[in-house]
Amino acid sequence: MATLEINDLHARVAEEDGERILRGVDLTVESGDIHALMGPNGSGKSTLAKVIAGHPAYEVTGGEVLLHLDEEDVADIDAELDDEDYHWELLELEPNERAALGIFLGFQYPAEIEGVTMTNFLRQALNAKADEREELFEDEDEESAEADDDEGYETSPMEGPADDGEIGVAEFQEILSEKMELLDMDEKFMQRYLNAGFSGGEKKQNEVLQAAMLEPAVAVLDEIDSGLDIDRLQDVSKGINALRDEQGTGVLQITHYQRILDYVEPDHVHVMLDGEVVKSGGAELAEKLEDKGYDWVREDAFETA
Amino acid sequence: MSTQAIESLSEDTVRRIADERDEPEWLLETRLNALSALETAELPDVIQTPGRRWTDLEALDFESLVDPLNQSDATERTVGDDEVVVLPFTEAFDEYGDVIEANFGSVLDPEHNYLTALSVALFTTGTFVYVPEGVDVEDVTVRAEMNSRSLFSQTLVVAEESSSVTILESIESGDSEAAASEGVDGDRYFSNLVEIAAGENANVQFGSLQNLDDDSYTYSLKRGVTDTYATLDWIESNFGSKLTRSDVETELNGDGSESQIVGTFFGTEDQHFDINARVWHQAEHTTADLVTRGVLDDVARSVYEGVQDVGNDAWNTSSYQRENTLMLSDDAEADASPKLIIHNHDTEASHSATVGQVDAEDLFYLESRSIDSHTARNMLVEGFFVPVLEEIAVDEFRDDVEELVFERLQ
Repeated sequence: MATLEINDLHARVAEEDGERILRGVDLTVESGDIHALMGPNGSGKSTLAKVIAGHPAYEVTGGEVLLHLDEEDVADIDAELDDEDYHWELLELEPNERAALGIFLGFQYPAEIEGVTMTNFLRQALNAKADEREELFEDEDEESAEADDDEGYETSPMEGPADDGEIGVAEFQEILSEKMELLDMDEKFMQRYLNAGFSGGEKKQNEVLQAAMLEPAVAVLDEIDSGLDIDRLQDVSKGINALRDEQGTGVLQITHYQRILDYVEPDHVHVMLDGEVVKSGGAELAEKLEDKGYDWVREDAFETA
Repeated sequence: MSTQAIESLSEDTVRRIADERDEPEWLLETRLNALSALETAELPDVIQTPGRRWTDLEALDFESLVDPLNQSDATERTVGDDEVVVLPFTEAFDEYGDVIEANFGSVLDPEHNYLTALSVALFTTGTFVYVPEGVDVEDVTVRAEMNSRSLFSQTLVVAEESSSVTILESIESGDSEAAASEGVDGDRYFSNLVEIAAGENANVQFGSLQNLDDDSYTYSLKRGVTDTYATLDWIESNFGSKLTRSDVETELNGDGSESQIVGTFFGTEDQHFDINARVWHQAEHTTADLVTRGVLDDVARSVYEGVQDVGNDAWNTSSYQRENTLMLSDDAEADASPKLIIHNHDTEASHSATVGQVDAEDLFYLESRSIDSHTARNMLVEGFFVPVLEEIAVDEFRDDVEELVFERLQ
């Protein structure tokens, strides 16, 4: 059971006189729980998602983003672990290291990458995750010995990674077929270039597919429901529920709309305003927001402040 | 402008080269004419932007680079089919002298510029490819190694009516120790002229892969003409050398003929590439497609010129050009100049060129999936080449290019 714990997080746009966007965010997401993060445009929801994942466009000016792991989160690790291996300050880590520890960011606008096929990309990502985990958890005295051969990769990603026993082709195909079926995705996807020419809905399905393949501890899904027709919304919702039900993933779902919450029922709902989480509650809070908008939350927040 | 005289060059030198190769009289005359053209010939035009001449050919010290009587190469020619003739000129004169005489210099004027004239006067290696009417061959390969301070190569391809041929040439530097033992060190010069006559309804693909060591300066001009319904496709890949000037040109002279020029380059350290692709539409219903992609790292530079020239009589022309340069370093420099000259309004045409860096959002996307930044960048660079690789119909050539891209990314 993993926990993502955000304490008093402050961040601004990483440029001179960059706008302050996060102004003291507190939020905790445990694996197996579904959290909805709602709030009006410009309240800082997407920024929070990107800062958790380590986007270089933002500078953290205060606070912490901690990831606590337990035994089942490190079941794949052979090395001997000490207490530090269970508690990580994500802000000190590179984006790919955060991902390897189990943070997944589902992008609101996924990048379109020409020339890199889906198959190639997913295998590269799975193997990279395994390699990176090995490095993150390895004993410190081994670390220096292996530091030399850390550069580059051994085979061209065009040819796919070498079959070095991490994830075999057959196993990969099997897992992939299963996940794609769940999301009602055509196998032809796998020969296409990563998101290139994908429709808005296909891109979102693809984000959920990647989450399913990478089995994160916590998935932050940024407006995964925007621009989806009702059929695709149901497919994507099925995928998100499966993340939680089958993999025990904790989900932080950023959304504008109540609609997806009918299919992915949240355990917790949070409201963000002006760079802070100002209100938290159960599923009923989302319904109230749908009915009454955000003004009453703002008034409440002002009163208590 | 006059280029410096090269002392080691004389009529006597040229006669010795021709004598040693037992060449026919007409070729000696062609060489001597080229030699005397040097007195007035100009260096090729280069792109100039305010305050800057991108490729300074005048700075080349031909006096020390050119060593005409000590040229040496190891060239391996393989042919999949004995219906096609693939020979060094010296072995082809007896049987195919007439074909050679009729075509040599007809596509690429030896006196086109100073560097072509120098090359024709002095060439000692190269290949004659003759594809008789109706013959269809896929795998002609010419692998050359340069072993001397300077090397001048001349290739002539004659493809007769309804023939089809794929020719892949590569040029590399020979074993550097062997070269050093011959007293070759310091800068070197490789000159490569290729002319192709694609006959009616003929189909010619010519791929060239240059991967010379970084002490080499290279000049290459490849020029083809198409007869009616002929197709002439070029692949021009430049990876090696210190400085490369490369020109690939097609004259679409026959109605319904087509040409594609695909280019790739990858510059690291202080490599300099001057890449040119040109096509002249001079008949009706002709099609041209110019596609070039290059990557620059460190302090490498590239300058690209692409020209689509649509003549008065080129009714119903289709002509497309795109060039993209990807910069991996803030210190690399690139200039691109796609030109479209239209003298006939019945034309569908496009031209574009971009210079850009690896997209930060693309990079972050891959990193957010556990992929480290170095690997992520390399995936994006390899992906960048894919659209041009997809244009390369020859698997073997595509594999070689991929391999070289991969090597440079380490």
